[in-house]
Amino acid sequence: MSTVDTAARTGIAAGTQLPELRIPITATLIVTGAIATRDFQKVHHDKDVAQAAGTPNVFMNILTTNALVNRYVGEWAGPAARVGRINIRLGATNFPGDEMVFTGTVDSVDGQNVVVKVVGTNSLGPHVTGTVDLVIPSKGESA
Amino acid sequence: MSQDPNVLIGEMIAAGNERISVARDEVNRPMIHHLCDAMEETNPIYLDPEAARAAGHPDVVAPPSALQVWNMINPSDPVIESDVDRAYAHLADCGYPKVVAVNCDQEYDRYLVPGDLLTASEKVESFVGPKQTGLGEGYFITTLTTYTDQQGERVGTMRFRTLWYNPEKRNS
Repeated sequence: MSTVDTAARTGIAAGTQLPELRIPITATLIVTGAIATRDFQKVHHDKDVAQAAGTPNVFMNILTTNALVNRYVGEWAGPAARVGRINIRLGATNFPGDEMVFTGTVDSVDGQNVVVKVVGTNSLGPHVTGTVDLVIPSKGESA
Repeated sequence: MSQDPNVLIGEMIAAGNERISVARDEVNRPMIHHLCDAMEETNPIYLDPEAARAAGHPDVVAPPSALQVWNMINPSDPVIESDVDRAYAHLADCGYPKVVAVNCDQEYDRYLVPGDLLTASEKVESFVGPKQTGLGEGYFITTLTTYTDQQGERVGTMRFRTLWYNPEKRNS
């Protein structure tokens, strides 16, 4: 008996909606995200440097955006899923005090191969738009 | 200012010179924990060896999106100029000094486990322009980074596309 049976994996089809995920964009998330991803560029942790560079505040780095896309789709797909590709387009900057709302839709299903379209939108517009390729095994099988 | 960047960058793409960097540290549990703590990531395959094994992994795994993390430049490292840096500097010299990241496309051959030691090989892959964009006239440049493990096997790739633009050359 597997402890990581992916819950409710039946019924995934093109058009299936992922539950929305709201992520508060805080200075803490931006700074800890940058340092945890080993990105020491000062615009991601030092407000004075960010403002001197012409932005209103520190802003989220791309590696954190990738990690949050990974988290969003992974929470939905479950621990048995394997991510094969994350392909994102970058848009409106994530600044502290904002909120990013993730929505997602299953774009295609071919056997265990599932492609999900994801959008993360903040108050300025889409921050990230992309696709995530997954292998989601049927219950009792491994990816 | 009117120099055509296609000439030099075309030569770089044809030459295919790569900047090769070996990660200072192996993929490791403390950094996986840092990543999960920062992102509020709770997937047990990153945190619990038993859950990871039940999902078919040999050990806890790193979040796949962390592919790039292990070879990030250490703040104290000396700067080693590569063709990618030279291409970026050349675009600024040609009159396109502003940059914005446009796409990041990561593909994963396998999940990484503690002990993996990655080598990143980065080169200029493609180049398009000049194009009129909402930000001004500019060029799109794509780099390809190939990540290999301690056996020399490829574990993933990343294509990273930036737009270098001149906000003063703007239609409207």
